[in-house]
Amino acid sequence: MAISLAESVHIGFSDIWTRKVRSIVTIFGIILGVMSIMVVLAIINGMNQSTMAWMMERGGLSRIDVQRNWGYDFSKGGKAEFDLKEINFIRSQIPEAAAFNPKVGAGEMELTQRGKSYNADLSGVMPDMTLVDEWQPEKGRFIKHIDIEQNNNVVVLGSTAARELFGSRDPIGKEVGVRIETQSYTSTGEFESTLSTHQLTVIGVMSEKFMEGNGGFGGNPLEYRNRQAFVPISTMINKLSPALKITELEIKAKDTETAPALRRKVEELVLNLKQGKRLFMVASATEQMQQMKQSSMIFSSIFVMIAVISLLVGGIVIMNIMLASIKERTREIGVRLAIGARRRDIFVQFLVQTVMITSLGGVLGIVSGYAILDLVAGFLDIKVAASMQMIWVALMVSVGVGLIFGVFPAVRAGNLDPVLALREE
Amino acid sequence: MDVIRLSRLVKDYSLGKIKVRALCGLDLSITKGEFVAIMGPSGSGKSTLMHIIGCLDRPTEGEYYLDEQLVSAVPKSELAQIRNKKIGFVFQSFNLLPHLNIQKNVELPLMYSGDSLRKRTQRAIEILASVGLSDRLKHKPSELSGGQRQRVAIARAIVNNPSILLADEPTGNLDSQSGGDILEIFNRLHKDGNTVIMVTHDPAVAARADRIIRIMDGAIVDGNIAG
Ligand SMILES: Nc1ncnc2c1ncn2[C@@H]1O[C@H](COP(=O)(O)OP(=O)(O)OP(=O)(O)O)[C@@H](O)[C@H]1O
Ligand SMILES: [Mg+2]
Repeated sequence: MAISLAESVHIGFSDIWTRKVRSIVTIFGIILGVMSIMVVLAIINGMNQSTMAWMMERGGLSRIDVQRNWGYDFSKGGKAEFDLKEINFIRSQIPEAAAFNPKVGAGEMELTQRGKSYNADLSGVMPDMTLVDEWQPEKGRFIKHIDIEQNNNVVVLGSTAARELFGSRDPIGKEVGVRIETQSYTSTGEFESTLSTHQLTVIGVMSEKFMEGNGGFGGNPLEYRNRQAFVPISTMINKLSPALKITELEIKAKDTETAPALRRKVEELVLNLKQGKRLFMVASATEQMQQMKQSSMIFSSIFVMIAVISLLVGGIVIMNIMLASIKERTREIGVRLAIGARRRDIFVQFLVQTVMITSLGGVLGIVSGYAILDLVAGFLDIKVAASMQMIWVALMVSVGVGLIFGVFPAVRAGNLDPVLALREE
Repeated sequence: MDVIRLSRLVKDYSLGKIKVRALCGLDLSITKGEFVAIMGPSGSGKSTLMHIIGCLDRPTEGEYYLDEQLVSAVPKSELAQIRNKKIGFVFQSFNLLPHLNIQKNVELPLMYSGDSLRKRTQRAIEILASVGLSDRLKHKPSELSGGQRQRVAIARAIVNNPSILLADEPTGNLDSQSGGDILEIFNRLHKDGNTVIMVTHDPAVAARADRIIRIMDGAIVDGNIAG
């Protein structure tokens, strides 16, 4: 014959309503705690999602990159570059790799076409680039093995480069010039720099790369790829820029599962080739992803801990206010007991009330969390991702805080002696 | 038939090491439908006795039968139910809940006995009409006069049709006019067959009762035999 939960909730509502200001003040800590949990988790979640999208754009998680190790002390000797013999050797040692693309970057080079000029980011690459990057030409074709073997004077343009040079005209089969600067010493010992133009035939235009802007870049963060131009790696080294060396290697494993093993194998190979000097860094996307997930886990657990502390403080504040409130309402409790309320009814009344207050705090925290996320996403132009799951967690947490910190005051209220309670002023 | 039977009732209060004996071996029987007035000097144990009869407190020793049930043996946890069903209590200081309107105040005992909202509302309106407060249902206690508040308290006490109606100095906080009104209501309830037990300092009030019980130092000195 206890009063029903609905009855307790009803009493709770009217109690909270008659003490509006106090209730709001009471739940401030809970609102803040829940809000910060929401905001932090949503931002981290959003960051993870956009990093993931970024990695997918770069060719997925089975990718392995060999790059100059910037942490290496180059005064110890050694150069962070490969020659073609080494490249061929590495390739022959990893037949299990799905794709293999050594890269020579020449940086910004001036391309000319009928008086128009455009500075494109020019690289010498191999045919496998399309596989590693999962990026195909939209028009024409990409560089083939025969272009490599014959040092063919061909170029594939990024979409922006093509547009800047050719406008709406079809670039396929047309010629573009590359301005090359050759530096040498004359017979009299003077430094001489000569500029010459090398003609290349356009064989393809890459499809346009695009991704939602994020991370404060605004616009299209992949636009730099559309500004690129590609020539056969052999043409680059033998004809355009003999001083350049292969400094980068892009490899693709068959799948994500075999990527870490392949990365270790490549690392071993490179280390042996370079007499044990760590000139290169070998990284696999899947492992980087795992590391990133791990560090964002650490990051979020720190913030969740801060939020939990603020919830605990909020809970203690609520407990104290409930205790004060019960002291103040001792006579009311006495009256309720005198007319037939059981100890359990009083206990439930105050526990339900505490839980309702903290849940209200949770709901307000979620709402204000959303408002703040909206602001943050708008101002910083970053992606945030609040999930349904987070809302549930926030609600459960606030109900939990109410249950934990509501029990003690409720027990106090339920254990009051009716006669003494009625005598209270 | 005795609605109340007390035998060798003892109530001790312990204040630290000192024991205060508020009731010392008290015997008392009250018949159904009787109107009993309890008188005695301040500190003689009147309220203590009322609390025990009202099941708000338990005797240290002795037996208390209410409606032939030995309530002095009933565990504390079940006393709430007896208070709810069998006892109506009217206090000197009204003891209404200030945040609830008077209709809700009167409904409260019915809520704790688990009645439906419809039944509660209907019954509360009916009872408030019988004490002449039909036009004040939605008023808060603070908006009523002392006499009106005490009428609400009486309505709340009888809403559950209790076996006994207890009143501890119900007119103590009222002027003689509204005190008279309240006594009128108690008289009427008594005539309707209710058992009324009332503590009072006023001999004129006590004169209306069937029987006057005088208490001194926790024991009955006069009026123990039904009149
Ligand atoms: N909770 C308590 N703790 C200790 N002593 C108490 C307690 N309640 C009552 N007493 C003592 O018991 C005795 C009887 O008190 P009680 O309140 O029953 O007197 P009363 O007859 O109602 O007096 P009054 O006419 O002033 O209301 C008094 O001596 C009082 O001090
Ligand atoms: Mg008294």
